[in-house]
Amino acid sequence: MGQIKLNQVTKSFGDVEVIPPLDLTIEDGEFAVFVGPSGCGKSTLLRLIAGLEDCTSGDIVIDDENVTQVPPSKRGLAMVFQSYALYPHMSVRKNIAFPLRMEKMDQAEIDKKVEAAATSLNLMDYLDRKPGQLSGGQRQRVAIGRAIVRNPSAFLFDEPLSNLDAALRVGMRMEILELHAKLQTTMIYVTHDQVEAMTMADKIVVLQAGVIEQVGSPLELYRKPRNLFVAGFIGSPKMNLIGGDIAKQHGAETIGIRPEHIDVVASGGMWEGTVGVSEHLGSDTFMHVHVDGIEDSLTVRSIGDIAVKHGDKVQLTPRADEIHKFGADGLRIE
Amino acid sequence: MANRTIPRLLQTPAVLLLLFWMLVPLSMTLFFSFIRYVLNSLRRPEWTTPSIENWRGFGNYQFVWNQDSFWLAIQNSLLIVCSILFLTVSLGVLIAVLINRTFPGRGIVRVLLISPFFVMPAVNAVLWINMILDPVLGLQGIAVNGINDFIDGMRTAPVLGGFFSLWPEFEPISFRATQTSAYAVIMMVTWQWTPFAVLIFMTSLQSEDQQQKEAAILDGAGAWNQFRFLTLPHLARPIAIVVMIQAIFHLSLYAEIEIVSRGNGNKNLPYYIGELVNNNIGAASATGIFAVILANIVAIFLLRMIGKTLME
Ligand SMILES: Nc1ncnc2c1ncn2[C@@H]1O[C@H](COP(=O)(O)OP(=O)(O)OP(=O)(O)O)[C@@H](O)[C@H]1O
Ligand SMILES: [Mg+2]
Repeated sequence: MGQIKLNQVTKSFGDVEVIPPLDLTIEDGEFAVFVGPSGCGKSTLLRLIAGLEDCTSGDIVIDDENVTQVPPSKRGLAMVFQSYALYPHMSVRKNIAFPLRMEKMDQAEIDKKVEAAATSLNLMDYLDRKPGQLSGGQRQRVAIGRAIVRNPSAFLFDEPLSNLDAALRVGMRMEILELHAKLQTTMIYVTHDQVEAMTMADKIVVLQAGVIEQVGSPLELYRKPRNLFVAGFIGSPKMNLIGGDIAKQHGAETIGIRPEHIDVVASGGMWEGTVGVSEHLGSDTFMHVHVDGIEDSLTVRSIGDIAVKHGDKVQLTPRADEIHKFGADGLRIE
Repeated sequence: MANRTIPRLLQTPAVLLLLFWMLVPLSMTLFFSFIRYVLNSLRRPEWTTPSIENWRGFGNYQFVWNQDSFWLAIQNSLLIVCSILFLTVSLGVLIAVLINRTFPGRGIVRVLLISPFFVMPAVNAVLWINMILDPVLGLQGIAVNGINDFIDGMRTAPVLGGFFSLWPEFEPISFRATQTSAYAVIMMVTWQWTPFAVLIFMTSLQSEDQQQKEAAILDGAGAWNQFRFLTLPHLARPIAIVVMIQAIFHLSLYAEIEIVSRGNGNKNLPYYIGELVNNNIGAASATGIFAVILANIVAIFLLRMIGKTLME
């Protein structure tokens, strides 16, 4: 079990309200990702759930039990920190065993659990090393091992992969997803990387300045961003946001069109533009096209490698049914 | 090659000075310890000049080894050094952990805590032995008198009188006596050097990783377990440094010994050497070499012990 509910939770540091009243429910077994720009309060929210910070007001309910006043260790949650927070003086074995030792479990039982966790995380060869003698990925696995052995009702991850290099990050991402599939335990995962959010989440919570902008599955957020912020934040490369007369023609203050929803046509396109920088990835080509009447350059994504270069003229047509419309208040217009 | 020569040349004076500084006294001590060399002898005037002719082999060492007072001095040295180390490190850790939290007036408390370290050792000894520990005029005498007067007064009180008349009269302790003078030295040096330990531990505590603490809190570790498994291992290195430096300093205590009781009951190795130096330089040098060996043994032993017990 591991349903987590926040009711009207707020958090202030001194006079600064970092989290205005916030409601959120994370269902049992769900993989929820908090995503948002730096400083938006993701970590703070996670630490509130863990109990490392006290709520200024509001309630946190885990499995129908109000845990707002319950100390962190009694909430049955395990957390994996960005800096791993391994105990530097203890071997990997002792690190993983530490929570069990604190529970005063007997040694035979501890050994069994540690071995099981180490086996599943491929750490058997490193049990007697100190954290300082491990690579970043191995340290991360030890931190996860330390979380697993406690058998928590939910895992909390605070940007666990941001200290790893790109290749390792993709690998660890898969491992965490495997783990989630195997354990079926609630996981809350904080990241500022929207690609990580899109690939991992069952449910994405987009935050800005402590306010939830939208909650939904990755595809919901992709298809129907509720407002301009989510539209600009979710998706890579970013959605093109166009204001002015072109938006007015669609009856909106701003329209948004994703780079992959603009087609390059031979002739008779809606817009004509000049190619600025183009990025050739092999599988895709990203073109930054300057169009008269549109202030920012448009990002256009085409499948495959197209032969365009700086200064070429291209004809563009947005797919009409993929245009997102936003009103003056920034909210989506259906 | 030329680019190496100039730095080498520039280093030479410093290296030479250091060599000179270290090697000359050590070799002179070694040399003196193997010859008969006294400052003053009517019977054997030739022993008053250091010369290879007066070679005595290990005779000086044997002479010192067979003195009871030498072993007493070693025993006192160890007692004093080990007690001071134990007290300063435990008090230092305790105080450092306490003042590492934020509380009003923390700045002032810190300055006050450090101040004993700036008192000169001799002044410290005079203050303690005369103003605090003196059985008549010191704080101790006054406090003991006060308690005795209080008990005396209470003997005639109604109800509680019977209880207080069972109490004995307290005797102030004389800290210049043979049995107690070593404790006086331990107390005053502990007072003076605890701030040093606090200072070093405090800086180290400030670099402690807070996320590790939080991880431990989530893992269910209470305040004691956090201290035992995170803070103490984190402090192992600074503790080793404090122990090392203090061991070296306190093995050569002199002023305090002299001022408290002129070596009566608290004579340590340096003081013993000092007494020998009044005449027998050969024996004093041999004792000096013993002292060097002892210092090394103590240092190695203490460092091993700290490494074993604190590093999990
Ligand atoms: N202990 C604190 N005291 C005062 N302000 C704090 C404290 N902790 C966080 N804040 C403020 O709260 C806001 C949210 O911080 P938080 O660490 O939750 O951001 P974040 O979303 O995790 O950012 P990042 O992606 O950079 O980790 C920030 O503006 C930060 O300055
Ligand atoms: Mg953060």
